[in-house]
Amino acid sequence: MSVDLLVPIFFNGMSLSAIYILVALGFTLVFGIMRVVNFAHGEFAMMGGFWLLFLLNWLPLTYWVVLPLAAVLVGVSSLLPEQFVFRPLYGQELPSMIAALGLSVVLAEGAVIVFGVHERNIPSTFQGLFQVGRFTFPEDRLVVMAIALAALAAFWAFVRFTRIGLALRTVAQDREIAEAQGIDTRATYRITFFLATMMAGLGGALFAQIYALSPYMGSVPLMKAFIIVIIGGLGSVPGAALGGVLLGMSESFLATYFGASVAEFTSFGAIILLLVLRPWGLLGTPEG
Amino acid sequence: MRRLILTVYVSAALAVLLGAATGWSEELKIGAVGTLSGGGTEWGLALQRGVTVAFDEINAAGGVKIGGKAYTLKMIMYDDAYTAQGGTTAATRLVNVDNVKFILGPIGSPPALGVVAVTNPAKVIALTNGYSPKILTPESKYSFRMQIPTDYFAPAVARWLRQTYPKVVKVGIISPNDAVGQTLAPLHVEAYNASKFDVVFDEKYDRGLKDFGPLLTRMMARGAQLLELDGNAPGEAGLMTKQARQLGFKGVIIQTGGPGLEEIIRVAGPFAEGFLSYDLFDPTDPGVQGYVKGYHAKYTGPVPGLSVVWFNAARVLHEALKKANSLDVDKVRDALENLGGTPTIFGPVRWTGKERYGINHQLLHSFLISEIKDGKVTLKARVEAGP
Repeated sequence: MSVDLLVPIFFNGMSLSAIYILVALGFTLVFGIMRVVNFAHGEFAMMGGFWLLFLLNWLPLTYWVVLPLAAVLVGVSSLLPEQFVFRPLYGQELPSMIAALGLSVVLAEGAVIVFGVHERNIPSTFQGLFQVGRFTFPEDRLVVMAIALAALAAFWAFVRFTRIGLALRTVAQDREIAEAQGIDTRATYRITFFLATMMAGLGGALFAQIYALSPYMGSVPLMKAFIIVIIGGLGSVPGAALGGVLLGMSESFLATYFGASVAEFTSFGAIILLLVLRPWGLLGTPEG
Repeated sequence: MRRLILTVYVSAALAVLLGAATGWSEELKIGAVGTLSGGGTEWGLALQRGVTVAFDEINAAGGVKIGGKAYTLKMIMYDDAYTAQGGTTAATRLVNVDNVKFILGPIGSPPALGVVAVTNPAKVIALTNGYSPKILTPESKYSFRMQIPTDYFAPAVARWLRQTYPKVVKVGIISPNDAVGQTLAPLHVEAYNASKFDVVFDEKYDRGLKDFGPLLTRMMARGAQLLELDGNAPGEAGLMTKQARQLGFKGVIIQTGGPGLEEIIRVAGPFAEGFLSYDLFDPTDPGVQGYVKGYHAKYTGPVPGLSVVWFNAARVLHEALKKANSLDVDKVRDALENLGGTPTIFGPVRWTGKERYGINHQLLHSFLISEIKDGKVTLKARVEAGP
């Protein structure tokens, strides 16, 4: 294994991990607090891509304003399905899962009707190359890693040090006790859903700008989020971070040495093994 | 008696007026089959527009004169949905319901195979396009292919690359893991090997993949100096180009087939610089200015390269109808076969294919190598096709 090969593999793995973690964080948050397996999570990521495209084209604002704005707009627009689709089904895991599946189809096909089925490209904001010795690192990937790291740190600080974060953690542990302590669980759920879809929107916007934007792009981030939260533990935020790094790095290494099919095979093989041997994931906690 | 004379005069006047309005001509229905839904819509539109421009031009000049009678050409087009079944359905409808005797299109092997399965037994002439060798067989008496397939242009491109980049030896080929990639990649391997290149990397990926980093890293580790992207949709080729340059790949990148340079520029941005592609159309060529003018009189936006193939096919059919001076299908087929030397937008008509397909129904034409320079498509070379 030469350094010439290891450095790009490691870099590619880290940039993949960064996007995966952003998407998986929201997915695990919704399950951890609301007990909802949100199959429409990938479509909220897709919405982030379309918001970014729209804002970059129509508003004379800098990228550093447009990117978070796109994520916030995804969060805001998700409050409608939160109220009308998920709220009546809180606490009912199976019906909410089916409803989320339906919502994902509605959102993807709605995007097809509005934007058409064609794949689009969002021009890169950062097109330079960063040279270190004989290695080149694309600026856009470095920026994605920095944004993901900053978002992860901000999210962790929010959950760890704010009163709302404390409420989120309390509801995640025991909803009835939280309500008995005067915590408004409905408001907590709304905030959770907003935060989760906002993170998905951010991840989706970054994904769409680096790769491609299409109404059907949500399935890839959703699948990765699933793998990550099963590896890390459904509902565990540190687990999502660990799962993201493990998935990104293993995909990069395996796909480089053995091809994309082997990488995919190994990801799902690892999931089956984990579900058999440690169903609560690496950093999750067993139920009951 | 006076009333009778008046009636005769009025009838004659009406007949003159009606005749003047229609140019004393009848309509000749020409069928067209192309993809007008789904991913291949741009191809179908290119066909529709190329034929429309040609027919407008022919009709404005008085139509086609056969047996002393002038006919205006009218296109009847159906969608093939880029499937063999769609091609069969469209051709069946054209042959049996619209009673057409001549069909232009489609583009692509699946619908083309569906069309010729109907047109050959029905003795209807089909001017098609598609890379499958089964489109032309010794039994395809009524089928003609109007664009050279990969096994004609790939060896010519490899020879041109050999001359233009004498220091490049190692080639990497990345193509999708489907019928397109599986058919085209071996043709390119054969063409590159024949021109003394060494294909060090020939790998496939599943359609839908967006992160080509691992694949490209592995290719670069094998020392590839040239990346061949034929078989990839322009969006995927653009993504691969961008990611290859971001990884530090400094070699030649070429797509020998399926020109989509505008899309490559959109996706890869500044990383598209130097990208080479097989192409059909140079908008700055003085020989095509008439077509460009006709196209822009009707449509906006850049002229699709593929539309020129169908403009040319419509003009070739027009020449054959004129030469046959008959609507009899066999006579028009014979006239088509004997059109050799007739000037077209691609140069004089040359039919080939006897050795390869058992029938001389393959149109041979020159093509271009285009290069992206300063974010624009520029002409790099004009290449003669041939095995």
